[in-house]
Amino acid sequence: MLTVDNVVTSYGMIKALKGVNLTAESGKVTCLLGPNGAGKTTLMFTIAGILRAQAGTITFDDTDLTQFSPVKIVEHGISLVPENRLVFPMMTVRENLETGAYLRVGKNRSAIADDVERMFARFPRLEEISTQLAGTLSGGEQQMLAIGRALMARPRILLMDEPSLGLAPLIVKDIFRIIEELNQAGVTIFLVEQNARMALRVADHFYLLEQGRITFSGSPGELEEEEVIHRAYLGSRRE
Amino acid sequence: MTDFIQNCIDGVMIGSSYALLAIGFTIVFGVLRRLNLAYGPSIMLGAFVGTLLYVQFQAQILAVALVTVIGAVLAGMYVERLCFWAIRRGAALASMVSSFAIWMQLEEIAVIILPERTYPFPALTDLAPLEIGPYFLRSEHLTMFVVAVVLVIVVHAVLYRTRFGLAVRAVSENPDAARFMGINIDAVMFWAFAMVSAIGGIAGFLILATDQQVTPYFGLWATFKGLIAMMLGGMGSLPGAILGGLILGIVETQSLWYLGNDYKDLSAYFLLFLILIIRPGGIFGHAMSEREREALRRV
Repeated sequence: MLTVDNVVTSYGMIKALKGVNLTAESGKVTCLLGPNGAGKTTLMFTIAGILRAQAGTITFDDTDLTQFSPVKIVEHGISLVPENRLVFPMMTVRENLETGAYLRVGKNRSAIADDVERMFARFPRLEEISTQLAGTLSGGEQQMLAIGRALMARPRILLMDEPSLGLAPLIVKDIFRIIEELNQAGVTIFLVEQNARMALRVADHFYLLEQGRITFSGSPGELEEEEVIHRAYLGSRRE
Repeated sequence: MTDFIQNCIDGVMIGSSYALLAIGFTIVFGVLRRLNLAYGPSIMLGAFVGTLLYVQFQAQILAVALVTVIGAVLAGMYVERLCFWAIRRGAALASMVSSFAIWMQLEEIAVIILPERTYPFPALTDLAPLEIGPYFLRSEHLTMFVVAVVLVIVVHAVLYRTRFGLAVRAVSENPDAARFMGINIDAVMFWAFAMVSAIGGIAGFLILATDQQVTPYFGLWATFKGLIAMMLGGMGSLPGAILGGLILGIVETQSLWYLGNDYKDLSAYFLLFLILIIRPGGIFGHAMSEREREALRRV
């Protein structure tokens, strides 16, 4: 279980997160919704150790990660599927997958080869294009690769930052199907999305982040979905 | 025709050392997206420490080689910590300018170590040149070439077969994504710098052992040759660095033979000028395969 407790993160003088509290239960899909600039990616980066929290703690299965380096956080089973996918364009699909297992490369080559095969079994399309350079893939394929690459680290929780960004509606459906399948296979997922409608379909629990604060949390169907979606896109109405 | 071919042979031999220097620039540029102007001078400093050993203690040639390489690596690490690690990404210009300042510093240190302008550098072999039909092959050149080929193979193997190589390539392609994979970028930069400095140290030793003399200007010379060769081939491209080095070597020897010493550097700069007009990205910068260009376009 990932617990974010009262986390504050700033860029210089500007506080992007003003005390965020949330939990992502093991085996569940937890979704973080919110409009542009709410601090969603900042929270992801803080969890991944790229940004440092000024206050508050982040714990994962009773380990305090707050002061960990990004390397140690990956070692602790947290991997990130970054916004815009960020595949390595000049590397082949296979090499991209290998970078995902970077921390294990050199220790156990055959285990990594097995994991690559497992990814190919889960994403047959990746096997067909395994020798292509990642930059030549379509957006959907790149997203699939970015997910596979993150899974290569054998994470205990997968952080996904806007996996539907810039993809055609049909491909977005595919990606959400993949998310559901991964979750059914036992992967814990913490999903950041702008596409609230799709996200609410797969989420077990969701949070709404606005201007650096959690303003709402609940389970889909529990409360007025339209209201949540509205706020996720546009922010709260001002009184 | 015999002359022309002889020049080409010499050019390829000399060019192989330029290629090594260019590889040094290109790897650092690839990983850090920044230019290290102090690359040549750090090699020069290593060579000066080696020379000191030779002049003062009549050290063996292998000891001089070893000290040169170690000196270059230490100087390289110093440059990395000061100009690249301390100055964060996004301040490429600050890194470059500070590496220029360190260049001056390294030259001053060299002059303090050995205050005269020119010192002898030990020769690698005193074997007679090899004769192949009408052509001659200097044994130092042959050694240089063979070592360069071996080093290129080693560098390629390191980049494409090892965990460190995977990290280096990941960092050069996308440092942010590399960080998300759990790659320690600072460590990768540091060791890439060390590797490149060792290559430079070896190249510097081979060049100086051929010239049999060393001056503090060797740093300037090495930076220029490496930069020109890299720009000819295309920034950040490994095959480009090799090709650029060989072309530069051949053009220099040809123009030295046909046009005279005054035109040697001039023709090299003219070639660079032409290449930059025709293919601003360098030969391989543009001739990147269709597949690779496509790959970059879509990201």
